[in-house]
Amino acid sequence: MKKILIVDDEEVIRMLYAEELEDEGYKVITSGTGHRLIEIIQEERPDLVVLDIKMAEHNGLDLLQDIRKEFYNIPVILCSAYSTFKGDLKSIAADYYVVKSADLSELKQKIKMALEGHVPTHPPENEA
Amino acid sequence: MYIEEDPHNIKAADLVVGIPSYNEAGLISCPTEKASEGLVKYFGDKNSVIINCDNNSSDGTRQAFMNTSTEVPKIYLSTPPGVKGKGNNLRNLFRKSRDLGAQAIVVVDADLKSITPRWIKNLAEPLFEDFGFVAPLYVRHKYDGTITNNIAYPIIRSVYGRRVRQPIGGDFGFSGELAEIYLNQADWAPSVAEFGIDIWMTTTAMCHGIPICQSYMGRPKVHKPKDPGESLGPMFLQVVGTIFDMMIKNVEFWKEVRWSKPTAIFGFGLGEMEMPPPVEVDVERLYDKFQAGFADYNTIWGKLISANLYKKLGEVKTLSLTNFEFPANLWAEILIDFAVAYKNGLNNKKKIMETLIPLYYGRTCSFVIELEPMTIQQAEDLIEDQCGVFEHAKPYLLKRWFDTK
Repeated sequence: MKKILIVDDEEVIRMLYAEELEDEGYKVITSGTGHRLIEIIQEERPDLVVLDIKMAEHNGLDLLQDIRKEFYNIPVILCSAYSTFKGDLKSIAADYYVVKSADLSELKQKIKMALEGHVPTHPPENEA
Repeated sequence: MYIEEDPHNIKAADLVVGIPSYNEAGLISCPTEKASEGLVKYFGDKNSVIINCDNNSSDGTRQAFMNTSTEVPKIYLSTPPGVKGKGNNLRNLFRKSRDLGAQAIVVVDADLKSITPRWIKNLAEPLFEDFGFVAPLYVRHKYDGTITNNIAYPIIRSVYGRRVRQPIGGDFGFSGELAEIYLNQADWAPSVAEFGIDIWMTTTAMCHGIPICQSYMGRPKVHKPKDPGESLGPMFLQVVGTIFDMMIKNVEFWKEVRWSKPTAIFGFGLGEMEMPPPVEVDVERLYDKFQAGFADYNTIWGKLISANLYKKLGEVKTLSLTNFEFPANLWAEILIDFAVAYKNGLNNKKKIMETLIPLYYGRTCSFVIELEPMTIQQAEDLIEDQCGVFEHAKPYLLKRWFDTK
């Protein structure tokens, strides 16, 4: 079972996402803050992170940079109520950017794509 | 091989900045000066050299380069008289860099007007860390780089699964190890020897598992932009032909790829983003060239693309310029059909590529119309959406590629 970490400072969002994603067959863990995020990822080893951008104490785009320094290959989906942060080049480091909506179908689709995504890291055997 | 002028008799270098050129006497001093400043400021502890790899220019490029005052020593290389092509220039640079034992090589275009010393830092520094290939990331005008936006970026992203926003940016960094890999490749086709070299370098790095990053340049690329309908020249045929050649060569790699992954970013914190200068596009000319393509190539298109796509293309033809739209999903599937036709060698490859040009004009016309009311950021969102369309077309590519012989 794939494990998803939700990082969002709104409890209602965490609860909604957890319920919906558990119904999809994922194991969900949540954090209400970006504090100790790297340690949480080290301990829990999630397969994917859904990361809010505008949180009371942390900026998700800065947290994304921290994640990328330590865990380059972990899929991260930025999930924000605002589309304007797409204009920040730091958002390019995310696998996907989803604008929050009561309808979670886009988020679910992007989670599926991010988990299915595969790019070989080595050339095929018959190549030099 | 090359003709060389090396007044300092340089035997070794850690870091090389290469400037490929052909008849750039009026502009080459700017990137040469900035490269020297960047090497002194950020890599003062390294042995560096600036190399102009030229095509035996007749306009005084060699003199302009060698006469530019720099703290860093310079070497001039040239292909023999009559041998042209950016790829041939870079091949000479690869050889010379290997001979010098370079750890890192940076390439910047000779016609660059907006380069700063920091470009050298940002393209080279990742090479002394964990990366083997560095692609540039800069803001471009929404109408600049239409081959990149409508072909190179979406195809490379969907086929190889790596998001490199400027795969033919012209300004790169690569390790000495990757230069050796480049030299050992057997596929130095004529298109690679010319404008196909940029996409060939990017794709070769991807398919060899080289760690790639994108480096934010902080300033827009200001060079000699062109109206895409005015003069496409051989660049289109060479770039797109190389993309298709590389798809044939690397099918064992890309057939395993699903969706795409982001690529590491280097070089944030460079202050306010500067806006690029405007690029003018004549939409009516693009539309007319698309329509003219039907007179010349309608029968050939009917053989190259599937019946369903051919029917949709016929519908697009009937649209007036006011209502013109060439949908992204139609464009993606037509490009796939052309790649498959190219692989199978129906008719001949050069002819196939030539018949693609009016369709590219049609898609570019539609793209420019759609972008007209948009900001640069909105245009970027549209390009990202188009990439999503290409990624969703990957099953169609796999089916056509392996089913069609």
